[in-house]
Amino acid sequence: MFDDLPGQLYAALIKEDRWKLYIEGLGNTMIIAIGAVVIGLVLGTVIALIKVNANLNKKNVFLKFLDVICDIYLTVIRGTPMMVQILIGFNIIFAALSFDYSVLVAIICFGINSGAYVAEIVRSGIQAVNRGQLEAGRSLGLSNSQTMSLIILPQAIKNILPALGNELIVLFKETAIVGYIAVQDLTKMATLIQSRTYQPFVPLILSALIYLSIVMLMSWGLRGLERRLNKSDRR
Amino acid sequence: MIDVKSVVKHFGDIHALNGVSLHIKKGEKVVIVGPSGCGKSTFLRCLNLLETPTSGEVWFEGECITDPRCNVNKLRMRMGMVFQQFNLFPHKTILQNITLAPVTLKLMTQEEADKRAIELLARIGLSEKADAYPAQLSGGQQQRIAIVRALAMNPDVMLFDEPTSALDPEMVGEVLELMKELADEGMTMVVVTHEMGFAREVATRCLFMADGQVLEDAPPTEFFYRPKNDRLKDFLAKVLV
Repeated sequence: MFDDLPGQLYAALIKEDRWKLYIEGLGNTMIIAIGAVVIGLVLGTVIALIKVNANLNKKNVFLKFLDVICDIYLTVIRGTPMMVQILIGFNIIFAALSFDYSVLVAIICFGINSGAYVAEIVRSGIQAVNRGQLEAGRSLGLSNSQTMSLIILPQAIKNILPALGNELIVLFKETAIVGYIAVQDLTKMATLIQSRTYQPFVPLILSALIYLSIVMLMSWGLRGLERRLNKSDRR
Repeated sequence: MIDVKSVVKHFGDIHALNGVSLHIKKGEKVVIVGPSGCGKSTFLRCLNLLETPTSGEVWFEGECITDPRCNVNKLRMRMGMVFQQFNLFPHKTILQNITLAPVTLKLMTQEEADKRAIELLARIGLSEKADAYPAQLSGGQQQRIAIVRALAMNPDVMLFDEPTSALDPEMVGEVLELMKELADEGMTMVVVTHEMGFAREVATRCLFMADGQVLEDAPPTEFFYRPKNDRLKDFLAKVLV
């Protein structure tokens, strides 16, 4: 395995400018992860707000209807493998699109998937905020949406930051399966180089190290954010 | 000012209020006492529609607020409420707690609201806490801030829902003192409490509630020294030892 490591490094990195492939792959991985996180956070928050408000106003038929739709979405998305979802997305739902759009399809599929998990995380965070906070906001004359956005959600986000960070990290790593729909992400590039050099060690370990360092960077950023939000807890 | 017409509130099978009617005039200080679970808090919460009455009407300053067309948010700006559990916003500083509502609702600019908040804090002797967070304050301080937060909206009436029940005994005094000052300034107040001393000293009217009904409604001297209702006599015998 370690025979001629300099030669392996040369073949996996320098020869034919292969190092550029890792960077190109990482670029795709990052674009998919960031796009999906944005979609997931927006979608998840909207669904969580629908579910919480449907629960508060049980008599509202329109909210009840939206609530049922959300339940179906959550059940289907959380009950099927991500891998199957992305294959369905690419080969059935967006089958008409050419291969040029596979990154876009990946962003949409991952975003929709992540939204389901984020929704449940945000909902749990909102429900953990004391009911008195809602009453205090409303008793001052703030509307329901003002109370939600200024008082309830900031406290909810603080509660759920660790769980949300976890979801972001899982999502980032799970993008490694997009090779199945012909997206040239970091993992796909590593296997591509392996198939050229017939030497798995350098490309696979290198890609693992790249994933690891980005996850460590994310954890570090999240810890900093958590510290900042916790400043109101100091006694 | 506030007119309550045969208000009924049911929570499923539980009948919290069984037809309460009441007229509260401007400047009155109404204190409501009664055994726990008698509907005192529910009644108070019906006044600013934190609970929607099952039937009956509530009128406030000539407006029927139980009418579905009534703008509840507008109405609540004129009714301050103080809760048993303070309910300060833990992620906001004391100054932000006080200025959040007036600024968000565009009643004041941030500068005006800050100025008013600093005046109010100076009045209760907590100026140096403006940039602190609620968790850094004692219960008594938090409750006084909660009162000031409601006052910053310049309400016409203040509702107090057992404001001292969650406090350590040595902090009850400072909160009652502030409420007394408000009363002396002519604020209309409706107070649910277990503090009989406060009721006797500050109230212009005392109400005794039990089983979701008002059983006695009298000035404090009469209420405490010549009670008519047997349930009230029994209640007073237990609480005034």
